[in-house]
Amino acid sequence: MSEDVMFKGSRYGLQLILSDAADFPKVEQQLKEKLESAFSFFSKGTVVRIAADRLTAEQLEHLTRLLGRYDLSLKPLTQPTEKTVASEKKEDIALEEEIPGINETMIIGKTVRGGQEVICNGSVIIQGNVNPSATVIAGGNIHIHGSCRGIVHAGAFGNTKAYVIADHMMAMQIRIAELIARAPDYVEKPDHIERAVIKNGQIVIEPVNRNEGARA
Amino acid sequence: MSEIIVITSGKGGVGKTTTTANLGVGLAIRGKKVVLIDTDTGLRNLDLLLGLENRIMYDLIDVTEGRVPYKKALVRHKKHDSLYLLPTSQIKDKTALNPAQLVALCEELRQQFDYILIDCPAGIEQGFKTAIAAADCAIVVTMPEISAVRDADKIIGELGRADKENIKLIVNRIRPQMVRSGDMLDMDDIDEILSLECIGQVPDDELVVTSTNRGEPVVSNKESLAGKAYSNIVGRICGEEIPFLEFGEEGFFVKLKRVFGW
Repeated sequence: MSEDVMFKGSRYGLQLILSDAADFPKVEQQLKEKLESAFSFFSKGTVVRIAADRLTAEQLEHLTRLLGRYDLSLKPLTQPTEKTVASEKKEDIALEEEIPGINETMIIGKTVRGGQEVICNGSVIIQGNVNPSATVIAGGNIHIHGSCRGIVHAGAFGNTKAYVIADHMMAMQIRIAELIARAPDYVEKPDHIERAVIKNGQIVIEPVNRNEGARA
Repeated sequence: MSEIIVITSGKGGVGKTTTTANLGVGLAIRGKKVVLIDTDTGLRNLDLLLGLENRIMYDLIDVTEGRVPYKKALVRHKKHDSLYLLPTSQIKDKTALNPAQLVALCEELRQQFDYILIDCPAGIEQGFKTAIAAADCAIVVTMPEISAVRDADKIIGELGRADKENIKLIVNRIRPQMVRSGDMLDMDDIDEILSLECIGQVPDDELVVTSTNRGEPVVSNKESLAGKAYSNIVGRICGEEIPFLEFGEEGFFVKLKRVFGW
């Protein structure tokens, strides 16, 4: 099944991206399946933004109702095309304030398995592993008390100070804010806790000592 | 108290049906009353593995659609009196059976049997969802191979979503030589990813193939290491504490040699 529906973190908040190629009933069906599979891991009250210019009012209404069933609300996103850099920055701050729960932490007490998605506006603590092809998207930081083999995206709304910590960092991909790092093709299992952060404009992985506090 | 167990894997070809047949015969040897339900409608195989193909009169779909009572569709095993098969239709497809129908049928069968084993089709679609609906617990079968382990992980997630939290693992078709030389995932690697209670480690054994072709599950063959492994799994299902077989260098080869009469 091709992915016609995707959730993606952006600096405008969690964004719902629909493929132009797919027709609406197909999109609706896929979205439903997606929500169903990730449902238990969505944080309530999350605002989802959508580029609405291609949708009719009726279709938008449909999606709003569908997301509403999972306690998610939908807000149309207007493309900031003709704005100056300065005003865009201002808008960023306004938007960040608008994102509910960005300072909250969600705790997941079990392993996130392949094909499952964790999406939350704030930070997330996972007490278990993140398995291959599982996805974790968080507005804040991601703490994994276990092995990380999946795809993790911290600071999904553009927070470049966000980080990912795992007992065994073997992530397929690490994304922080707008940056992406891919795992090397052959990964050895690290025996100490590591943290991925942005340094000098790229994602680096460094050892940490949890006892020393947030920054080693 | 009877137990409904679904045997599933996600990936095809890892040995769901073989496992179902062997556990069924193993439980019957221990004197339990067992029924095996094949839910792989359209691609049924379980009857072949048990050597019962020529005795099928009615099938699961006839029962769930109310054409015959379930007793008429049950096929008694020719050697083990307390083992029954409820075969599925080879003509219909997965849409012919829905979860509610299977749940209702299993509740009826519960009155008569100690164990109800459901052989699940490969995949995560409707057939899978139907097969797991009635189960009290699940056995996930996997192989020491990366794609089989990934699919097992996915299936465990899906089972969790359907509120099936009682899940056990069987690792099938282990090739001890390859594990030793590091060419195959070992139990630690598998446990790292799946973190499930393992109730069986079954070695790859040529006798499984020959016994499958003859319609006599390998569990009744005392010479076979795989048969022994299945027999141990049956013991563990019945609540016994049995240590895992050692496929050590000598042990394995000595047994292998004995099997082939070298």
